[in-house]
Amino acid sequence: MNYNPITALAIFFGICLLLYFAFRPKKGIYFLLKSMYKQKDKVIIEDILKFLYHNQLSNNSITTIGLTNSLNFSNSLIIESLKKMMDNELIVLEKDSYKLTPNGNEYAFQIIRAHRLWEKYLSEKTGFHKEEWHERAEDKEHELSESEINKLSDLLGNPRFDPHGDPIPTSKGKMKSKRGVSLSSLKENDIGQIIHIEDEPDIIYKQILAENIHLYSTIRVIENNHTRVVFHSEGEQFVLAPIVAGNITISVSEKNETLEENIARLSSLKIDEQAKIVGLSKECRGESRRRLLDLGFVKGATVAIDLLNPLGDPKAYYIKGTAIALRKDQASKILINRIE
Amino acid sequence: MSTKNIDDIIALSEELRWEIGDDFHDNLAESIYSDASKIVEDAVTKDNNKSKFRLDAKIDKIVTSRIWGFPIMLFILGAVLWLTIIGANYPSSMLAILLLDTIQPMLKSFGANIGFPWWLSGFLFDGVYLAVAWVIAVMLPPMAIFFPLFTLLEDFGYLPRVAFNMDNLFKKSGAHGKQALTMSMGFGCNAAGVVATRIIDSPRERLIAIITNNFSLCNGRWPTQILLATIFIGAVVPASYSSLASLTAVISIAVLGIAFMFFFSWALSKTVLKGEVSTFNLELPPYRPPVFWKTIYTSLIDRTLIVLWRAIVFAAPAGAVIWLISNIYLGDESIASWLIGSFDGFGFLIGLNGVILLAYIVAIPANEIVIPTILMLTVMVTGVAGGVGDGVMFELDSVSATADILRSGGWTLLTAVNVMLFSLLHNPCSTTIYTIYKETNSVKWTVVASILPVIAGFIVTFLVAQIWRIFV
Amino acid sequence: MENKPNSACETCGLFNADGLKKLGVKTDDFDFVVALAGNPNTGKSTVFNALTGLRQHTGNWPGKTVLRAEGAFEYNQQKYKLVDLPGTYSLLSTSEDEEVARNFILFGKPTVTVIVADASRLERNLNLVLQILEITNNAVLCLNLIDEAERNNIKIDTRILSKDLGIPVVPTSARFQKGIPELIQTISELANGKIQCKPRRIKNIPKNIENSVQKLSDSLTKEYPNISNSRWIAFRLLEGDTQIIEALKTGNIATNEY
Repeated sequence: MNYNPITALAIFFGICLLLYFAFRPKKGIYFLLKSMYKQKDKVIIEDILKFLYHNQLSNNSITTIGLTNSLNFSNSLIIESLKKMMDNELIVLEKDSYKLTPNGNEYAFQIIRAHRLWEKYLSEKTGFHKEEWHERAEDKEHELSESEINKLSDLLGNPRFDPHGDPIPTSKGKMKSKRGVSLSSLKENDIGQIIHIEDEPDIIYKQILAENIHLYSTIRVIENNHTRVVFHSEGEQFVLAPIVAGNITISVSEKNETLEENIARLSSLKIDEQAKIVGLSKECRGESRRRLLDLGFVKGATVAIDLLNPLGDPKAYYIKGTAIALRKDQASKILINRIE
Repeated sequence: MSTKNIDDIIALSEELRWEIGDDFHDNLAESIYSDASKIVEDAVTKDNNKSKFRLDAKIDKIVTSRIWGFPIMLFILGAVLWLTIIGANYPSSMLAILLLDTIQPMLKSFGANIGFPWWLSGFLFDGVYLAVAWVIAVMLPPMAIFFPLFTLLEDFGYLPRVAFNMDNLFKKSGAHGKQALTMSMGFGCNAAGVVATRIIDSPRERLIAIITNNFSLCNGRWPTQILLATIFIGAVVPASYSSLASLTAVISIAVLGIAFMFFFSWALSKTVLKGEVSTFNLELPPYRPPVFWKTIYTSLIDRTLIVLWRAIVFAAPAGAVIWLISNIYLGDESIASWLIGSFDGFGFLIGLNGVILLAYIVAIPANEIVIPTILMLTVMVTGVAGGVGDGVMFELDSVSATADILRSGGWTLLTAVNVMLFSLLHNPCSTTIYTIYKETNSVKWTVVASILPVIAGFIVTFLVAQIWRIFV
Repeated sequence: MENKPNSACETCGLFNADGLKKLGVKTDDFDFVVALAGNPNTGKSTVFNALTGLRQHTGNWPGKTVLRAEGAFEYNQQKYKLVDLPGTYSLLSTSEDEEVARNFILFGKPTVTVIVADASRLERNLNLVLQILEITNNAVLCLNLIDEAERNNIKIDTRILSKDLGIPVVPTSARFQKGIPELIQTISELANGKIQCKPRRIKNIPKNIENSVQKLSDSLTKEYPNISNSRWIAFRLLEGDTQIIEALKTGNIATNEY
């Protein structure tokens, strides 16, 4: 059989290249085609509703220009949708800016409920990384019907907060409110608890994630000026740019009763040290959290390092009579109090 | 009772759940443990001075130490594999003499005596019986050595330490440290390796371990590798180095398999499996001296015989198919030679040939019968002398005679290298496929686990063949 | 507990060795169902083998038995079917093996549940014991690996433990066949109602949760006066266990009485 192996290789790599362009994540032709088939107008209408709702909360008035600038759709599509929405009495135009009608408000609530529930679902019942939750929920929120949303809520045990600390509206529109201030507005030596980490914009959220900052951990501000915000939390020091710190919401403790200094992460425990477990960080979720509790990593349990690893990680911890190996990222979500 | 009352109860529970908040599970778990520690305070007295398990701690210090941890591990696992491969030779050849050279002719003459037509005796004794006998002769001895040894290590408590030592490497490819063990088990038998993944309790990592287990070169494939390496690789170097060269080649194939295992674990965890739940926990139980004979007994019953039985169940029909395709003629061509003709083009493209591809298709039930099938089909196609003819599988005692047949079938060094690669990278045997289905209960993952290695095999052999042809 | 605690010496005289027949896998025609539960790596499978004469493989490895295995034995002309449940640390989570174990104890209605615990690590094991005692009334604690505990200078007062838990406690070392006759005797006494258990219920639950549990449990007992584990069902309802909700709707819970 005669053929040219170089041609064969060229054809092979050609096919590989084609497959790559067809199926590469997000930008592949396959995914583009798939998104084209979605109900576009429903997505636009719901995105406009969400946008108006969030801006109404912060008392911004939104004009047509404001909408076309902020949303990632073509101007003609947006204007067309706005017309439809006014016809259906979801929004009204007051002095050049759009307002939600009670109907529109209720609709917006449903979408936010769907979004936050889906994020909660992803965090509890799947293994997706937290970087992906928001984006996946952005897609899913348009697909869930009301009965599906209620079923989902039941399945999750009707949670009150999503994994970022945002309240989830109930089916009747009840929502736990949360008060807090931005981390960038705190003064030196202020103590408080992180109650919310904003997941938008993506770039800043990823920076916060990279720092390994945990929701609901207690912090103490060391330094705050226009160049940087420095704070202590769980035995570690964090340095953030003010713009990043602005996306973290803190509930400031009135009395300085929480002794932040005594709390550390289990990952910082050294050999021959002993500690009592204070609790699990809220960042430890779903099945992993339940598993750790089952294994005895509960408040009040005594823990020490049993074995180090030739490769550094995982370490085996001695707890309630047994050696249990945990990886570093798990150990960093267990909070301890060192025993001197 | 009325449904209304029940609905009321459920509604009440939902309302209460909302009221007590998200901490219910934590609080309950904490209460139970604090209750437990109160009871223990009452009923248990501990002599803390002599504290915990001193011998255990000492062993642990050594087997997980920076200096000794890995050498000890490699030594133990290497020794188990060496004992298995070398130790199995002798009983394997005895079984072959008994089952193939003694009983098979007896069966055939028995058939002739009571007047079986040629096709019935061919179908039963040359087809079904021969395949089953082959699988038993090649498979039973290594498994009967490997599983008890592995089980002894398991019962002693050493294996969790291996998982502990290796976890960091596996974590980097998104897998669980315990996969080191299911992988090692796969060197014995992939079906047993897949069953062993039950020890991994995290859904994502367990699926990864199941799907990639086939990249461990199993007992059924070692003989193929050793034979081909001896004939073809050993021949390209001076005679004094030939055994070293062939040994290196076989080990390289096994190591390549491990590399593929890591690569596919990583790729799977980053793509199709990233939504599966992932948790990690690894308990390091105290060491316990194994109850020696009981362990040997249960491992034979539990692992060896069950796996062997499954293999036999699958090998019998395969033997029938092999005999049938080479003895049923369409026109003046047997089905086998017609199939070989149609596979030849693709086979050549990936550096193999039609005979090899057909052998791998009919030998899906058991890797052990690949070489006998290849020999039989080669003789049938080329018409050279060898074997008993008439589409009967055979193997030759002399390596050089085997080499002659393969060379007359058009085999080159490239063919041998690619068969070695393809033997590593092809679909799991049907026993393993069936086991994967039973363990995952999912057609989807069974298909992925079956198709993925073949695709990898086609791509790798294709690339090797093209590059070889460009440069050699 | 009305009966005296079953320490080994008190019952061994009662044991009728001739009345014991290990039946292996012949599990048809049984008089009682016995469930075998326990943490992973406590020698549960060894106990199972010792009772049935079977030789299921038992590794020194947490989580060997994933699916349930069944076996049987006969004692004093009564046949017992033994179900070996997957070893779990707890019954509160959602993993597959925990579901199997939880559902069998709740819906499979075993006459007796044998809870195998590792004597040298009792505190960790009690986590599961206390949960099982919320579900079922008829249970015996098999304090296995007692030899290992003794080697590590751990002494357990089985009388106190039995009193605290409200169920009989039998120390065993199944690997060496120690304590198995006592265990069989206790199982038989429990199955025939000669011992009454008063299992301990979980204490120390925070006030607000205890109140919610009480409320739910009260309305459950109003609806089903016969169920003894209304508290456990309340726990599961608060956890949002869809299987329990389903069972309530279909009335499966109602028949769950002993």
